[in-house]
Amino acid sequence: MTTTLAVRTAPPVRVVAHPGPVLLAGIADGPSLAAHRARCGTMPVADLVQVLAAAEAAAVTGRGGAGFPLARKLRAVAEHAGRRPGRRPALVVNLAEGEPASAKDSALALLAPHQVLDGADIVARALRVREIHVVSPAERPAVGAAVEAAVTERVEAEDHVGLGNRGRWSGSGGPIRWHLHEAAPGFVSGQARAVLELIAGRPGLPVTAWAPEAISGLDGRPTLLSNAETWAQVAAALRLGPIGYAAHGTSAEPGTTLLTLPQREEPDGAVVVEAAYGSPWEQVLGDDVNRPVLLGGYHGTWAAPGALRQLTVSRVELRRHGLTLGAGVVLPLAADECPVTTTWRITAYLAAASAGRCGPCRNGLPALAAELGRLADGDGSVSWTRITALAGLVDGRGACAHPDGTARLVRSMLTTFEDEVAVHLTGGCRA
Amino acid sequence: MRVDWPVCAARGLCSELLPERIRLDEWGFPIIEGELGEELVGHAQAAVSACPHRALRLIARG
Amino acid sequence: MSPSSEALAGPILWFANRGTGMVLLVLYTLVVVLGLGSAAGSGPGRLVPRFVAQGLHRTLALLASLLLLAHVVTAVADDYVDIRWFDAVLPVGGLYRPVFLGLGALSLDLLVAVGLTSALRGRLSDRVWRRVHLAAYPSWAAAVVHTLGIGTDLTTSWGRWTVAACVCAVSVAAIARTVGRLAPARP
Repeated sequence: MTTTLAVRTAPPVRVVAHPGPVLLAGIADGPSLAAHRARCGTMPVADLVQVLAAAEAAAVTGRGGAGFPLARKLRAVAEHAGRRPGRRPALVVNLAEGEPASAKDSALALLAPHQVLDGADIVARALRVREIHVVSPAERPAVGAAVEAAVTERVEAEDHVGLGNRGRWSGSGGPIRWHLHEAAPGFVSGQARAVLELIAGRPGLPVTAWAPEAISGLDGRPTLLSNAETWAQVAAALRLGPIGYAAHGTSAEPGTTLLTLPQREEPDGAVVVEAAYGSPWEQVLGDDVNRPVLLGGYHGTWAAPGALRQLTVSRVELRRHGLTLGAGVVLPLAADECPVTTTWRITAYLAAASAGRCGPCRNGLPALAAELGRLADGDGSVSWTRITALAGLVDGRGACAHPDGTARLVRSMLTTFEDEVAVHLTGGCRA
Repeated sequence: MRVDWPVCAARGLCSELLPERIRLDEWGFPIIEGELGEELVGHAQAAVSACPHRALRLIARG
Repeated sequence: MSPSSEALAGPILWFANRGTGMVLLVLYTLVVVLGLGSAAGSGPGRLVPRFVAQGLHRTLALLASLLLLAHVVTAVADDYVDIRWFDAVLPVGGLYRPVFLGLGALSLDLLVAVGLTSALRGRLSDRVWRRVHLAAYPSWAAAVVHTLGIGTDLTTSWGRWTVAACVCAVSVAAIARTVGRLAPARP
C-alpha cells in the first residue's frame, strides 16, 4: 500500500479517526456531553496532590511535540501560584494545531471534546483556577465550532462535579468560566508563547521567553499551557487510575498516543489513530514501514526504509535511534517520492511560515530552502558544507523552536539519506 | 548572555565591544560562543548597555 | 563690588549667554547627527566603530546638557533683559521676545524628557524610551528657530553660516537615514 505524501500547506479537508482503546474509545457514540458522561461517568474530583500523583504515575508527557513531563510543569505552576491577582495561575488548552499535516487535536475536538475539556476542568479546580482559555485554529473553523458547542453544553448543564471516591472538593467549586480564542493562521501560531501573546491581545507570534511559562506566562502569571491531547491524557489518567491507565502501553511509557497518518486514496484527507506505547510500527504502518518515513512532522526526523520494522511506538526508543515522534505526525513516502525533494519542499514551506521576527530565521530559512532547492534539482553548484553551515546558523537562534525544528529536519535528511544526497550532488535522483 | 531575537536589529555594537565571545553571522546577527569568565563580565555589561534595542541580556547562571 | 566691575558684569553675562548659545547649537547638531548616523551602513564603510559613535553621542549629549545649564543661568542672572528662571522651562509668558524664548524653553523641556528617559532606561520598556527619544528632533528644531529669532549673533555672517551648516548637516543625515531605511537590508 503506497500513500502519497503531498507536502501539505493547508490542513486536511477530511479527517477520519479510527476507534481506539482510551481517548478514541467512544467516538462512535458522538461528541455530546451526555454520551461522554454515559461512557466515562461523572468527572472525577481531585485535589492538587491527587492530580500530581496521577500525572506522575501515568508519566503524562506533553503531546504538543516537546514531550515535557506534565507533572513537573504542574508542580512549577503550583509552586509559583499565589492569591494575589498577579500570581493566580492561568490555564490554557492549546488546540491551535499549526502543523498542516497533523489532525489529532482536530479529531479530538470534533469527536471527543469532553475528554480534553474534562482534563482542563479537573486541573483547574485542583489549582483553584476559575478561568480556562481554549485556543482553536483559524484555518480549521470546524474545530472552533465544535469547541464552542462542547463548552456551551458544559455551561448549560452546569456540570457540577460529583462526589467520587477520590476525595472531596472543598471550597465553593463554582462553575468554570471558559474563554475561547481563535489562533492566528500559520504554522508558528500554535507555539506556546505565540498563543499567550494572542490571549493577551497582541499579535499571535512568538516572543522571547525569559522564564518558562509555568513560572511566568500570561500577564506574568504561572501558566499551565498544554496541548489538547495532553489534557485528554490527564483526564484519562485520573479517570482510570494508575492501574487502569497502565493497561495499555509499557511500564516505562504507560498509556496511548495519537498519531496522524496520511489517508490512502484520499490526498486531501488524514487518518488519526490511537496507538498504545510499545505497539510495533509494523502494526501501525503495515507495508509502509519499508518506505522512507518522516516521523514527527515537518520538524521531525527521517526513518530510512525498513528502519522502523524493528521499532515500536516509543518516544524513548525512538530517541535512542536518533528519531523523534514529535506531535505524532507520521508521513510515509510513496514509491516515486524522493526524500531530498520532499525535504526541500517542506523547508520552503517552513521558510515561508516563519514569523519573520528573528533575523537568523528570517534570513536563514529561505537561504537553506534555496540551497536545498539546488540540491533537489541536481544543480552541481550546491555545497553540502553550505547546507550544514546554514543549519547550524539557524539552530537555537530564534525566539521559538521553528528554526531548530527545520535544522533538525535537514540534518536528519543528510544523515539518513547520505547516498541519495550524494547522488543529488552529482546531478541525479534515485526516485 | 542571551539575545532577544525578535528585537535584535543587527546593529553590531555588541560584537564590537565583546569580540572575544560575540561574532556576527553573514546577516549581521550575533553568534555567542564560549563561556563568560570573570575577566570579561565588565565588557559584557558594556555590550549589554550599548545595544540600541536592549536586545542583549546577561543571565546569572545558577 | 566696585562700580567698574559692576558695569562689566552685565555685558559679560550677556556675551557668555550668546557664546554658550552658539556652541550649544553646534554641539546639539553633532549629537543629532551622530544619533541619525547610528543606523547607517555596516562593515567596511564606517569611519569609526559603532560603539565609538554611540559613546560620542552620549558624551556630547551630556556635555550639551551642562552647557545648556550655563546658558540658562547666564540668561537669568543677566539684568540686561528680563528673563526669569521659570521662563527657561515655561514656553509661554515670557517678557523678552516671548515666542522665541518660549521655543528655547520647549527645546529644554523636551531635552529633559529625553535625558531622563535615557538615564532611567533600565526601568522603561524599549518602546517607551524610543518614542520619547524621538522628541529630540523637535527639540533640536525648536533650538534652531530659537537661535534664529533670539540670537543676537545672527546679524553677523559667521552666525548665519553656523546655523546654515547645522541645518544642512541634520538634513543630510536625516535623508541618508531615511534612504537607508527604505533600501532593502543586506545583500
